[in-house]
Amino acid sequence: MIEIKQLKAEIDGKEILKGLDLTIEPGKVHAIMGPNGSGKSTLSYVLAGREDYDVTGGDITLNGESIMEMAPEERAAKGVFLAFQYPVEIPGVQMTTFMKTAVNSVRKARGQGELDAIDFLKLMKGKCKELGISDEMMKRAVNVGFSGGEKKRNEVLQMAMLEPTFAVLDETDSGLDIDALKIVADGVNKMRGGDRSFLVITHYQRLLDYIKPDVVHVMANGKIIKTGGPELAHELEAKGYADIVGAAA
Amino acid sequence: MGLPLERIPTTKSERWKYTNLPRALKKLDLKSASLGWGSNVVVLQPTAPGEAQYQDTVLWDLNTSHVSDVQFFTGNADIDVVARDGQWLSPRIVIDIKDNETVTIVERQGGQGSYWKNTVVQIRIGNNSTLRHYRLNDEAAGGVSTIFTHVKIGRDSTYETFSLIEGAGFVRNQTHAEIQGENAHCWMNGINLLKGDQHADTTITIEHQQPHCTSKQTFKSVLDGKSHCVFQGKVHVHQIAQKTDGYQLSNALILSPAAEMDTKPELEIYADDVKCSHGATTGRLDDAPLFYLRARGIPEEMARALLIEAFCGQAIEGVSDEAMQEIIREKVGQWLTSRA
Repeated sequence: MIEIKQLKAEIDGKEILKGLDLTIEPGKVHAIMGPNGSGKSTLSYVLAGREDYDVTGGDITLNGESIMEMAPEERAAKGVFLAFQYPVEIPGVQMTTFMKTAVNSVRKARGQGELDAIDFLKLMKGKCKELGISDEMMKRAVNVGFSGGEKKRNEVLQMAMLEPTFAVLDETDSGLDIDALKIVADGVNKMRGGDRSFLVITHYQRLLDYIKPDVVHVMANGKIIKTGGPELAHELEAKGYADIVGAAA
Repeated sequence: MGLPLERIPTTKSERWKYTNLPRALKKLDLKSASLGWGSNVVVLQPTAPGEAQYQDTVLWDLNTSHVSDVQFFTGNADIDVVARDGQWLSPRIVIDIKDNETVTIVERQGGQGSYWKNTVVQIRIGNNSTLRHYRLNDEAAGGVSTIFTHVKIGRDSTYETFSLIEGAGFVRNQTHAEIQGENAHCWMNGINLLKGDQHADTTITIEHQQPHCTSKQTFKSVLDGKSHCVFQGKVHVHQIAQKTDGYQLSNALILSPAAEMDTKPELEIYADDVKCSHGATTGRLDDAPLFYLRARGIPEEMARALLIEAFCGQAIEGVSDEAMQEIIREKVGQWLTSRA
């Protein structure tokens, strides 16, 4: 269960999140849609703990425990995962090294034993196979020279490896053609179920045809202004944001 | 014999602007000493290298007038140049590689206490030969280590060198390379890892004296504490040296606001059909990759270490000996661990 209460955040003195409330029950997939500049990406960064943002009010709890004061790595260990809109290229750091360090850091923090090289490779190869990712990608530097589709698939792979309890997908559909979108959505859908919750942030309804949400929110001007079922996404697609955002203003 | 302080250039001299050697030496109380190598071999070339425009041969001259030890090599070798407390040393290492040879020389520079070790390494590489010259500097905090390397590279030959400075009191690592035959290569790589009050100066002059030759310099510096790092690289392309390919890169990563990096890249080109470039950057670790790694659960210090290792990686890739690559990677890793 993730609960966001009256969350306020600013960057360079400009308030972006203006008292946002959101509760996601275990096992549910919520979508946030909204026009550009509504604060969607800021929300995803604040959830993951990026320090560029000043959080000025409110609280975020995961299963009753506040994560507000936690460093990004502590949040990851607690089960928060952010799939980046723009995955970062890190020249010189090989994917395998990166993943092994990440998985073992998280396992250590969760009180599970660290994996040795063999067990780690087994796990990674298994996940790659499940997601249709070639092992060859794991020999390359993190995201360096990856196509748009590969970068997003890589985010899903990292998610599968780290087994979060709460995953935020920030504009995962941006820059993807329909085939890549399907592969990514399949990966996400395989991970649905149990207590794992998702927050899918998107500008377009298209992604929600493949990752079917339980609840859809509309975000504008740093707040949730409307909440509904999956039909809300279709309504938005048909009418655009102007009506709803205008009506709420 | 007292230290010849009056002969040592001050910071008024252009090539010594950022490295105050007299000040470093004045603090020391030293006596002329020897490493015990002996000195009964012929020195290849007693005079200073280079043409008239390179007057910066003071380290060479000081060594010549006070040679304490000489060693002579023509093949693979491990050389330790380790000073003891209170010593003033002027070791000379002469390396003469004949034609059609491939040779690897590992030079370890170190010491204990306070000392001044002014090493000259004098190298001649014949035709169609390769010399891999790897220098690992781990000096004492109170040590002053100045090194002047002069190398002459013959036709179809390669001089590949790597310098790791991971412990420095006060280091000046100066190289003068003359590419004297066609189709020859001078590849210089290095990593400087500095912390505390350490000072490390890398000063390079590469002279392209023949056509169809390449030179590459890739240097990575990581500065913590109040450390000071200097990189001065000069590529001089003579008029005859057409089709020269010269490349020079110096990247510095500043981990502490009190650290200082001074970079001076120079190209001096008299030929009209050449390809030469240089790049120099000085900056902090990027926030975006750091956040990306931390968001995947990697603790901050470990994430920084991963990024610093990756930063250094490009210089290590230039090392063709894989075992040496491993040694360097390990030393970089150890330095990062010791820093934390």
